[in-house]
Amino acid sequence: MREHKLKVGVSGVRGVVGEFLTPLLAADFAQAFGAYVGRGRVVLGRDTRFTGPMIEHAVACGLLAAGCEVVKVGVQTTPTMQIYIAETGAVGGIAVTASHNPAEYNALKLFNGEGLFFNHYERTELLDLFHQGEFQVATNEQMLGIVVDDVTPWKRHIDRVLKHVEVERIRKRRFRVALDGVNGAGSRMSVWFLEEVLGCDLHAIHVDPTKTFPREAEPKPETLGELMLLVRAHGCDVGFGQDPDGDRLAVCDELGVMIDNDDMLALAIEAALAKQGGDVVVNLTTSNVVEDVAAKYGRKLYRAAVGEANVVDRMKRVNALIGGEGSSGGVIFSGTHLCRDSYTAMALLLDRMAGEGAKLSELGRALPRYHRRGGKVQFAHGKLGGLMLAMERQYPAAELERSDGLKLNLEDGWIHLRASNTEPILRVAVESRSEARAEEMFQRAMTLLKG
Amino acid sequence: MSSSLRISTVGVRGVVGPGLKAHHALEFAAAFSVFLGRPDPVLIARDPRASSVMLREGIVASLLASGRDVIDLGLVSTPVLQHAIQRSNAAGGISIGASHNNADWNALKFLGPNGTYLSSGEASELLDIYHLRKFEFRDWTSVGMLHYDDEALDRYMEELEQVFDLEALKGLRIVADCSSGLSSMILKRVKQRHNVDITMINATLEPKAFAHTPNTNARTVGLQLAPVVQAIGADLGVLFDMDSDRIAVCCGDGDVVSEEMILPLLAEYQLKRMPGRMVITNLSATSVVEHVAGKYGASVLRVPVGRQHAMDAMAMYPADRIAIAGEGTGAVMLPEFRFVYDGMASLLALASHMHGERASLKKLLAGMPRFDMRKAEVELDAKRIPELMTELEERYEGAQKSTLDGLRVDFETGWFHVRVSNTEPVVRVIAEVREGNAEELMSKLLDVVRSYA
Repeated sequence: MREHKLKVGVSGVRGVVGEFLTPLLAADFAQAFGAYVGRGRVVLGRDTRFTGPMIEHAVACGLLAAGCEVVKVGVQTTPTMQIYIAETGAVGGIAVTASHNPAEYNALKLFNGEGLFFNHYERTELLDLFHQGEFQVATNEQMLGIVVDDVTPWKRHIDRVLKHVEVERIRKRRFRVALDGVNGAGSRMSVWFLEEVLGCDLHAIHVDPTKTFPREAEPKPETLGELMLLVRAHGCDVGFGQDPDGDRLAVCDELGVMIDNDDMLALAIEAALAKQGGDVVVNLTTSNVVEDVAAKYGRKLYRAAVGEANVVDRMKRVNALIGGEGSSGGVIFSGTHLCRDSYTAMALLLDRMAGEGAKLSELGRALPRYHRRGGKVQFAHGKLGGLMLAMERQYPAAELERSDGLKLNLEDGWIHLRASNTEPILRVAVESRSEARAEEMFQRAMTLLKG
Repeated sequence: MSSSLRISTVGVRGVVGPGLKAHHALEFAAAFSVFLGRPDPVLIARDPRASSVMLREGIVASLLASGRDVIDLGLVSTPVLQHAIQRSNAAGGISIGASHNNADWNALKFLGPNGTYLSSGEASELLDIYHLRKFEFRDWTSVGMLHYDDEALDRYMEELEQVFDLEALKGLRIVADCSSGLSSMILKRVKQRHNVDITMINATLEPKAFAHTPNTNARTVGLQLAPVVQAIGADLGVLFDMDSDRIAVCCGDGDVVSEEMILPLLAEYQLKRMPGRMVITNLSATSVVEHVAGKYGASVLRVPVGRQHAMDAMAMYPADRIAIAGEGTGAVMLPEFRFVYDGMASLLALASHMHGERASLKKLLAGMPRFDMRKAEVELDAKRIPELMTELEERYEGAQKSTLDGLRVDFETGWFHVRVSNTEPVVRVIAEVREGNAEELMSKLLDVVRSYA
């Protein structure tokens, strides 16, 4: 398989720093970005990667050269930046973060003036500008400067989060909370938020932003062993695991067991719907448990193509209250901002625990139980269409959804096939209320696809 | 402007936007890191131009990516940066700023581990690395760190006080034109620490709107400085360029002094105290230098125009044999202040000279010959230059000739220098006569030169 050490594409620039992702490339890309958003304020922040300051300077150089004013916010989570962009009248923003990718990677996440990820059209146009190499250039007369604001972004973010939860009832419970901050951008803010703002008895690990990632950066059961132990050791009510840029969240219950990401999303959606009316948007691969929750509150559920930008786009169009993508542990709550935000997710969960007076494992058990299986298959170029048709023939009674790969909705479950954007790999996801049925559908699909 | 970008052994210089771009800063800094080799930090400083911040960001990014620690001294002049490099274990430095050019220009100046400009050999090696794009970016575990140092100016001041007697300033009423540049920061400190009478004009750092072209020449001195000096009855007017590495002056009555006279004035001050030492200058500077040197039995070494040639010459002689090195632009280096072009040091040396001689500037100048010098430049097709030079050589057969840098011809009553600019498609013509006026010589030369245009 080809290793993707550098990717310059519609999602921006991502790569292994040094040999592949160079300051030259970052500056050029930033200058193209500056040409796209025009001469205004561009917010620039980063996560805690060691290469962050280097790339940040390169990006600032490119933005200034394009005639933008640069607002440096320093180490900030991605949602904090998005909110800051939206609130301060910036024309756009760039976060220097490779999100959940390993420490040797870095990348540029691009935001428009609303603090939202560039959508497909914006990304394509930016990429064209980049490839044309005809960057906008400012003369000394036109050139703007750098301003620094690394204090107000946290506060703006948390102020928004708190508007939608009952802080006093959370504080009263004095929850015992475990946290693994992966030494990421949210490290200090999370400690402050949980300890000072929400009054929790906090047991935190890996909250030193000067250190590198102590574990694989993606928060999931396999990488959060320490968090589970921490919960058990201190008898915590809940454990939170973040990713380096603070948009994703994984949650561990009081028994020290990780809650499935789809269930966590369902709990957050339930917490939100219990207080406020509104519809829900999730991606095609998210569990039907979310559908049940929405139905319980008489709310509509919409499904979008996989990808945060797609979910956000749909949420905007249908004016949804909350949404997310099950598998990636991202909760998007429009009350805070149309972005994945681990802080909103933490607050919603703690608020619901406080309101219900229930343990997290109890809330989890109360959800309808689905069984999910997932895997991936390599395919040869040119064979993808045939494979999809073969699957359709297997299930003639299925209701088909072709907006993002192929989803077969069946009476007792669903199958979703989706080709990766970056590799010749087909991702397979299967779900059913019955464990045996899920296994059977999964095996049948894998056999057929590998055949 | 025919060429808004100039990349040469002098460094990189251009009009920001159409000429000098972000990628030049990134690529030159990356090449410089490879050139330096040894892993020590690089010191950087910048002038107040808005574009200097942009260039700094690119330079910092490339140096960090090359695995190098960077120490940013912020808004300080090149001489202050040079002293900081000499005091530290730095591998070198980059000064961001286009000193005497207008605000729309900017430039990068590269400094070696001694804090001095690169020699011709070093500069051409840097250019080779730049052109081959042989950069060495490191992986994520080895990126460098950026540090800030805001005390460089204080340490520079201490050194200045050790080397020069600031008492010499006390009897003088001085007006300083800071050209919206970095000299104001030094002068403010001098005023804080010493009871001196210095009135500053154009003393606000300006990112865009310079008070005037920050160039040290007689014309600029005449614009604002000379009238103020005359109006308030000061003893001396001094104009610093943006970078404070050189000065131009006027007398107390507002009489403007040619920038060519700074070197002879300071050479006299130096040679009086260190007779027999040599004076280094370029082929285009006034021959008043020879006159002064002759009084003290000193020799004058003339090198091609360009800072790197002065560096090459100084590398060939022990420091204690050199009295002074400088150009006709008003930029001079003194051995006691570590051979750095420095306007503040020049002012202090001039004040000490006046103090020691108990003489006004006017009186010092009266003791020197007045030679008439003319300067001109002609745009020329580069291909025809060899023919031109050959014709000039033939016309002045019998005179003393030097072909080190174009053609310099010396005869009984004067000399001329015809050379091709390193960076522009122009030929520069300079003529000086020791008696009378150089008009006739100049017009004869221009007739020849223009016949090849």
